[in-house]
Amino acid sequence: MALIHVPRPENAWNPNRPVNALLKSQIVHLYEAELKLPLRLQTDIYINAIKTEGEAADYVRQVTEAIGAAHQAATAKRARSRVRRTSKVGTKKKSPSKPRRRRG
Amino acid sequence: MPPGLDNLRHIVVLMMENRSFDHMLGSLTAVNPQIDGVTNQFSNPDTTSALVKPQALAEFQGQLDPDPDHHFPAVDLQIFGGDTSPNRVANMQGFVKSYFNQQKDVGHSQKIMYYFAQNQLPVLTTLALEFAVFNRWFASIPGPTICNRAFAHYGTSFGRVDMNLLYVNEPFKSIYDRLINATPKHTSKLYYYDTASSTMEITNLLQNQPELFGTYQQFLDDCRTGNLPDYSFVEPNYSDHDSDDGEEVASDQHPDHNVQAGEVFIASVYKAIKQNASLWQSTALLVVYDEHGGIYDHVAPPACTPDQFQASPNDTGTGMPFAFDRLGVRVPAILISPWIPKGTIVNRVFDHASIPGTVTKFLLGDYSPRSPRETSADVFIEPNVAPVDPARNLLSLDTMRTDCPDFDV
Repeated sequence: MALIHVPRPENAWNPNRPVNALLKSQIVHLYEAELKLPLRLQTDIYINAIKTEGEAADYVRQVTEAIGAAHQAATAKRARSRVRRTSKVGTKKKSPSKPRRRRG
Repeated sequence: MPPGLDNLRHIVVLMMENRSFDHMLGSLTAVNPQIDGVTNQFSNPDTTSALVKPQALAEFQGQLDPDPDHHFPAVDLQIFGGDTSPNRVANMQGFVKSYFNQQKDVGHSQKIMYYFAQNQLPVLTTLALEFAVFNRWFASIPGPTICNRAFAHYGTSFGRVDMNLLYVNEPFKSIYDRLINATPKHTSKLYYYDTASSTMEITNLLQNQPELFGTYQQFLDDCRTGNLPDYSFVEPNYSDHDSDDGEEVASDQHPDHNVQAGEVFIASVYKAIKQNASLWQSTALLVVYDEHGGIYDHVAPPACTPDQFQASPNDTGTGMPFAFDRLGVRVPAILISPWIPKGTIVNRVFDHASIPGTVTKFLLGDYSPRSPRETSADVFIEPNVAPVDPARNLLSLDTMRTDCPDFDV
């Protein structure tokens, strides 16, 4: 079968397009998630002031990446505490053994 | 056992946004009358009582602005034409009236009847003609995006008919949880386009199980390296934004986003699978739209098994409760595999609850609990257990096709 040509859109990119109802809804859902993040990972973006697709995308990106970062930090912390526990067990000093008495 | 089912290892679902069947594929009736698209028999009255017929005048962008209303009350008007009596019958006569309500402009309201000519959509129409096109795939709810997409992940929207779905303590597990916790374990991933587009409808999963998610670039890499999971769900790009790669154009086809950008995206997903020969022979790709976006379709949505939830008159905004006992407006849906005969047309009824229903039955065999809507939804891939009904099996060829189309993306 012949290769089918797929036309590309021209001049379609417009990050200043007003944000649609769907993106507004996505922002509200992500905001709910953002409130559960550690404070240091929260954005300082006021979501009611997001007016354009470009602004919406910036907020969506920041929260999505922050969620990933929060989980990575928790995983790393979990791994560190596991290593500490293991290493404590591994390096536990042996109590000095009593000198053996020689028989005989 | 049919070799298409024996070879099947991966199911991929690509869900696009807000276009009706007639709007995108209606032109194909002229090519094959078995495809239930647009004819000149159909019309809708405008507010001057003039009859407006569907016309092949749809444009890629700039035409459906403002975004046609597709919330529950507006879709109720579109389906029932404004009849609110107890014994009303769906007549699909309220689309122009509904769009008129937004701008009070008679001329503009008529554009809701426009559809694309076949040659405007070379990707979607080629795939529909080459593989299996569904004449009766409906949105799950006569309402907006989020609650409809919920059916694709959970087989229900937990009683919601709106966009405010936050999934707290819900009684049914997502298809992804079912798969990754199964014995034996299955693999599953949701690929959003990039972090600036993210997931549209399942932030609940993202915040608790980010390991379930990947980007579209990862999808491309997983296809290339043969690491695609057993089940993948792909989301398009929902916004125009900047990225390290430059300008990203929204590819979801949600009005007023560019429809050609969506065509390129669909072709790119198809190509990524087809380029890996081993993946191509072992994958079925479903391209489907979440809901009709307020755009005209002529097929009245049928009644369905009620869900166990009910939306109150307050929630529906129509003054009437909704028992989830009627499907939403018809949407485009195409199943793609080299084991499907060219020109297959499916007339059975499906909705998005068929997605977790099919994946569950094919990969897990059985699973409980699932919603009444999901357990009663038809499956588009038959479970690979004897006996397989040949009349229902879409992946029915004895040998794989070698004449499948390619796109220059």
